Amino acid sequence: MHDNVIDRSKDITLLEMLDRVLTKGVILTGDIVISVADIDLVYLGVKLMLSSVETMEQIKSGKIIKE
Amino acid sequence: MKLLIYALLLIKNSLEETNEILAGCDTSDKNLQIIAIDKIGAIVGNFEGDLIADKAKAIEFAKEIEVLSNQFTLLPVRFGSLMVSTEAILDLLNKNSKEIQNNLLHVENRYEFGLKVMCDSSALKSSLVENSGLVVNSSHAKNLENPNSVYRNWLEDKLKEHRLEELVLNYVDTVIKEITEAIEILGATAKFKKMVSEKTIIDAVFLLAKDQKNEMVDTIIQFQKKYINLMFILTGPWPPYNFVELTLK
Amino acid sequence: MSDDKILFNSGSLEEFSDEMWKMSESEESKLKLGPDNADSGLAKLVLTLVELIRKLVEKQAMRRVDGGSLSDDEIERLGETLMKLEMKMEELKKHFNLTDRDLNISLGPLGDLM
Repeated sequence: MHDNVIDRSKDITLLEMLDRVLTKGVILTGDIVISVADIDLVYLGVKLMLSSVETMEQIKSGKIIKE
Repeated sequence: MKLLIYALLLIKNSLEETNEILAGCDTSDKNLQIIAIDKIGAIVGNFEGDLIADKAKAIEFAKEIEVLSNQFTLLPVRFGSLMVSTEAILDLLNKNSKEIQNNLLHVENRYEFGLKVMCDSSALKSSLVENSGLVVNSSHAKNLENPNSVYRNWLEDKLKEHRLEELVLNYVDTVIKEITEAIEILGATAKFKKMVSEKTIIDAVFLLAKDQKNEMVDTIIQFQKKYINLMFILTGPWPPYNFVELTLK
Repeated sequence: MSDDKILFNSGSLEEFSDEMWKMSESEESKLKLGPDNADSGLAKLVLTLVELIRKLVEKQAMRRVDGGSLSDDEIERLGETLMKLEMKMEELKKHFNLTDRDLNISLGPLGDLM
């Protein structure tokens, strides 16, 4: 039981941390993404940004976060 | 090779000195360094290959920002901000220098704290109804002509729901107002989100001087004592993720 | 190292943890339009806006009813209209296989639409 509680609290702080680092802070790209035919349309910064929108979306969607 | 941006900061002393402090606290294998224009700098790390989207990488990134925020006042940058070259970063700093500076001054020597307030939704609702003496059936009596109108009954049900919602919202506003007043005494600024989910009625972040941490905890303990039916959880200190109002051009 | 980030909790970490997982999972809600789902994609876009307006109208109606300025007859007709609107909406959602959650767009830093 005790171990369980410790795990849970780690859960919370890691989730809080992830939430912050993935959705807050200084933003380098447009944030609202509407994709048409699987091509994501982003506002700006496309030339500067090398990280693919797809990758970012994957992270955000939590698919990979769930593992 | 690409550069991953971790954070933005003000260079208070010389760039060499700041870089030395940075080297002292760099626990990553990314060879962190500062790229700066005048007093404004970006902490960047080397990055090879493609950005792999996984939980571990994001957490590693967040932890590095945590370490850095113990040394410098900084603006955390969202995970995944990869740049092609030093020139691109210099250009970015140059174009946004005024906004970056304003944001940095705002968070100078302050940290973010997170507060979540949860409740048992149905228990809260019934206790609120009890205390308010809310009469949810009053207008049924008025309807003498057609007491069984299905439309009217439907509307009555909707009205009940609506009143209950308003009641909860009023209650949440009261709690938020009290929290705001209490933390203003500590000199903190706050941002609140209401009704994030059925259970989480308040999701708040505070920006506060780090040495006020214990006072902050005490304040929340007092609230927990006052509102025994709510559950409070306070986390922090965090880098000021929620207090950056800046989209880089 | 992350344990000490929790400065205060009322002893119900399990509940908090479950709640936070739920919240982190519900984050994904973007519009995806493509050749295969042009129908439902567009339906989602349109219905999202329709649902937003319907909810606003309903809310406003409740305020009016609560204010007591409407006659019995008006209340009756209002009830009929709103109820039919809601039923029609349910029908449409079913037809396009959409849930309430689908009809809520995350506006990024602005929060959710509804």
